[in-house]
Amino acid sequence: MTEVSHTDAVADPGIRARPLPAKPRRSEFVYFAFRNRKFVLGGSVVLFMLAAALLGPLLTDYAPLEFSGPTDQPPSSEYWFGTTSFGQDVYSQFVHGLRSAFVVGTIGGGLAWLIGATVGFTAGYAGGWLDDLLNMLTNVVLVIPTLAILIIVAAYVNVHSYTTEAILIGLTSWPWAARAVRAQTFSLKTRDFVDVARLSGRTTRQIIVREIAPNMSSYLLMMFILLFGGAILIGASLDFLGLGPSEAVSLGLMMNNSFLSSALLLGSWWWFVPPGVGIIAIVGGLYVMNVGLDEIFNPRLRET
Amino acid sequence: MTAHKRWSAVAVGLTAFIAATALGVGGAGAEQQSAFALPRAQTLYMSGNQWSPNNDLNPAKNWDYITGLVGFAYETPFRYDPLNDTFKPWLATSGKWTSKTTYSMTIRKNVKWTDGQVLKPSDVKYSFDLAKISTHPQLALWTDTGLKSTKVSGQNVIFTFSGTPGYQQFDFYRFNVAIVPQHIFKKYSQTDITTGNLEKGKIVGTGPYVYQSGVGAQSQTVVWRKNLNWWARKALGLNPAPRYIVDIHNASNAAALANFKAGNIDLFNNYAPKAAITSNVKTYFGKAPYHLGANTTWLFPNTTRKPMNDRTFRRALAYSINMGQIIDKAYQGLVQKASPTGLLPIWSKWVDQRAVEQWGFSYNANRAKAILAGNGYKDRNGDGFVENKDGSTIDLKIICPNGWSDWMTAIQIIANSAKAVGIKVTPAFPEYATLVDDRGHARYDLLLGNDRQYSNTPWTYYQYIYQLPIKDNQTNTNYERYVSQKAWDMTKVLDKIPSTNTSAYKAQMARLQRVFMQDLPAIPLWYNGMWAMFNTKYWSNWPADGAGEYTPASWRNYWQMTSIDMLTHLKPAARA
Amino acid sequence: MIRYLGRKLLIYLVTFWVAVTIDWAIPRFMPGDPIERLLSRMQAQPASADALTGYYTQAFGFDVPIWQQYLNFWAALFQGDLGRSISNFPTPISELVISALPYTLALLIPAILLSFWAGNKLGALAARRKRLDNTVLPVSYVLTATPQMWLGIMLAWIFASSLAIFPVSGAYALDLQPAWSLEFALSFLEHWILPFSALFLVALGGWAIGMRNMIIYELEAEYSHYLASLGAPTRLVRKYAYRNALLPQITGLALALGAVTAGAIVVEIVFSYPGLGSLTLGAIQNRDYFLIQGIFLFLITGVLIANFIIDIAYVLIDPRTRVGMQGGA
Repeated sequence: MTEVSHTDAVADPGIRARPLPAKPRRSEFVYFAFRNRKFVLGGSVVLFMLAAALLGPLLTDYAPLEFSGPTDQPPSSEYWFGTTSFGQDVYSQFVHGLRSAFVVGTIGGGLAWLIGATVGFTAGYAGGWLDDLLNMLTNVVLVIPTLAILIIVAAYVNVHSYTTEAILIGLTSWPWAARAVRAQTFSLKTRDFVDVARLSGRTTRQIIVREIAPNMSSYLLMMFILLFGGAILIGASLDFLGLGPSEAVSLGLMMNNSFLSSALLLGSWWWFVPPGVGIIAIVGGLYVMNVGLDEIFNPRLRET
Repeated sequence: MTAHKRWSAVAVGLTAFIAATALGVGGAGAEQQSAFALPRAQTLYMSGNQWSPNNDLNPAKNWDYITGLVGFAYETPFRYDPLNDTFKPWLATSGKWTSKTTYSMTIRKNVKWTDGQVLKPSDVKYSFDLAKISTHPQLALWTDTGLKSTKVSGQNVIFTFSGTPGYQQFDFYRFNVAIVPQHIFKKYSQTDITTGNLEKGKIVGTGPYVYQSGVGAQSQTVVWRKNLNWWARKALGLNPAPRYIVDIHNASNAAALANFKAGNIDLFNNYAPKAAITSNVKTYFGKAPYHLGANTTWLFPNTTRKPMNDRTFRRALAYSINMGQIIDKAYQGLVQKASPTGLLPIWSKWVDQRAVEQWGFSYNANRAKAILAGNGYKDRNGDGFVENKDGSTIDLKIICPNGWSDWMTAIQIIANSAKAVGIKVTPAFPEYATLVDDRGHARYDLLLGNDRQYSNTPWTYYQYIYQLPIKDNQTNTNYERYVSQKAWDMTKVLDKIPSTNTSAYKAQMARLQRVFMQDLPAIPLWYNGMWAMFNTKYWSNWPADGAGEYTPASWRNYWQMTSIDMLTHLKPAARA
Repeated sequence: MIRYLGRKLLIYLVTFWVAVTIDWAIPRFMPGDPIERLLSRMQAQPASADALTGYYTQAFGFDVPIWQQYLNFWAALFQGDLGRSISNFPTPISELVISALPYTLALLIPAILLSFWAGNKLGALAARRKRLDNTVLPVSYVLTATPQMWLGIMLAWIFASSLAIFPVSGAYALDLQPAWSLEFALSFLEHWILPFSALFLVALGGWAIGMRNMIIYELEAEYSHYLASLGAPTRLVRKYAYRNALLPQITGLALALGAVTAGAIVVEIVFSYPGLGSLTLGAIQNRDYFLIQGIFLFLITGVLIANFIIDIAYVLIDPRTRVGMQGGA
């Protein structure tokens, strides 16, 4: 469950599903959370980047796309991250790009989470033909490379905002989450408390929402974090290909523009290094935080 | 690791490398056992023309065929020197109008095709006749110039017209119809000849270079080898210096620039920012603008929409544009401001200065505001932007293709300039294909265009602006959908004036310029450069202003102008 | 087992049919007329535009009703005919894709296999050596959070642009023609190493982390304790743990294919590597629907085949699936 690559191991019910972490009590969680180095470290990095995204743009006078200064300047006291080949302020572009990254991560990851959880729960709980149908759907969306679909659709739809891009990402990156949730739901379905709930007349939706989901809450949280990070990475690739909004600012677009303007050749490292570092900080921080969460929820992995 | 594990790691790694290499070499289309590397000092490397895959070998498809197909392999009856406005006899030794409606072209003797056969006047007639096919890209030769028939008479080809010939257009075709061998082409179907890619084993031409290797969908380069039996060696004493020419496929300007900086490219026809012109790089001009102007970049307003249909608005817009800032910020001085007539510098002798003084325009924000105010464009709601005469809002979008960074910067400056005088304009950067689609169907407000390059006659520019009738999809002219029968008629009249009748020509040009500037259906902005940077390490004596005035472009349609002369005047660089 | 594989095959066939239908349908139901686009790109003279429109309509099969176009598509597909590119008419799409495919495969296959092998080994090592773990883990997190194109740009900047050890773009040197010679092979490898590394390193991180966690988990499982308490050597326990941990990783391999392919596309663009990535980008920019469609057909087929191979491998490796299947799972 802590595979943090773009993969997920819990894919096939033929595999033994990882046992769920015990449902943590609140005080226990807080106690272990702040003692866990990974959680604290990862969380701090992410919070710092979030602060940079929210407050960073307030610290600069220059609009990100404005031709404010001389071209190709290295970082200086005037332009903290230097300027682009067109005389734009790189710092301003960077912090605005962080904002877009968080938007894409939240909406894209959130949407994927929603769809994945819904499909997974339904398939896992209902079983039978509904399960087969949803399985088929999941397989189809899973097998088609996400970027492939996004390239086709974005090429036609003429993405105008990061929200649109995030929605597209959310609609295509849910399959592995659905599979994971389905597998877990399978194993939980057979537990006693579910039988009790069913016997006392609860509806399916109530059972899923009130009984099953809370028992997977930690897992669902970690899944969201992975989807969030994944959405940011996919969004960066799309922007790099020029398929995202074109008159906007994002980290992927910064990489694209710097690459096309021969920044490599001219040695304008201040233009293409920060966007990548920004993404690594956010996504890496999220992954590390995720591992920390896993350790917190799963006593077996604790190193204390 | 244990020894066993270390070896297995090595084995795995090695297998991976071998597998990758095998795939790559095989996939690259390895055709022979061994290949020699081309001798650097005898090879000319060029880039900047080929963006599409290197597999189009059809000389009729002059937007797509591989670099040099026409010029190196196939040649034309004449060549045209745009910098000196003269025609050079080439495959034809001479040509003249024997009557008002007949033109006679004398074909050179003793010109051999690369398969040994002799070039005959019937080949020339055949090549011109091919354009009659309804899907041929040069069909206009037969539908728009009045040409009715061709005939071989001895060593001459006689062209017969009905009515007054379109002299200007016909002159254009005189140096743009590729002469192909009838004995080879007659085996192709009509569809192949007009839309196909043709076969690489059958490139038989008369020109200075022979195809050597490299044609393929994903190939990186195409190699040409000098034709030692080229007719011009004996007939004109010409010998192009490079023994091999390699044209490099372009993936991006950035990658090409990296190769140029590394010394792998000699003739660099891609766009590069001014910072790339370092001390060991030569250009046509030694100082700004460094490059010749190759085409005019126009601002096209969609005249089917308000307020672009009002010529006073267009005029105000023209005055608002801060050209100085565009030249400085977008191009760092690499381009020149265009004449208000829109005519290229090579046509400056036809520019009517009095008309320019009376009707021209230049950057003047106050004048722009005055024109708006004086013609009913007022800011009624106090938002800082003027509204239409009828009160509706003006909110225009100006577009250019995404990724064309210099244009992207330019339209941002244009938008800012417009805003500064009260016209609300916002820039947008759609994908090229979408833009082309919207442009053809008038689904835009303002855009930039620069399709028309050098030619023998400004008629091509006026056709670009005025051609009628308007179709559903304006594929290559009159994007702004400007309807003026009067202007189009005047353009057609210009076509029918032979270049020898200088006084009539000059008078008609003056009329056209005046009418153009009075109405400004399109706004000329700057001359986009004939980007050419020369690496002097291996080759010297490149074209330069005042010392070798040849077009330094490897772009399509330029070889049959004077780019061939660039090759015949090149010299190996002196030993360092 | 046959039944299991047969069922999987059936699922893949259905998936293939659905994916291909979607792939076929999207271009046709999107706005914009590809023929008009082609004419605009050709700067077609009005004189020949009408004749050309008629010709291309017929050439692309747009003159028959849509359901017939669909059936013709499948018929052509079975003959290996994917249609013609719009932007490079009349080049057949299969020709374009097949000429680009070897370059992409040359990057993808070694990157996937090597990163899987090395990453798992590394992860397993890290799982049992604390000090190694303290370096491997953070490095792997950074790697797996790295966007592949950024890593490509950094590698190109450091090793190609600045240090000039490797070339900055292309698949082979400009003065060579493709040939089965050592010189060409070396030039090819020299141009291959940086794009390969960009893909390899990012994938490596993911596998290392995954394996490390799986190993830890397996070593904590009851059977490990049981074996240890029986006096089995640590190496034996680790061997069993590794094998058990490998299983979910193999399934993960199938899922990772999509991500690595996406990475290959952007990395190829960074290095101007003439594979499917560059082809795709060109197709997008030219709105060459049929080419996009053809490329993705290849991708989908490749991914499905790879998935199927992995399923077979899984069955061969994991005895439980075989036993479970006999019960008609």
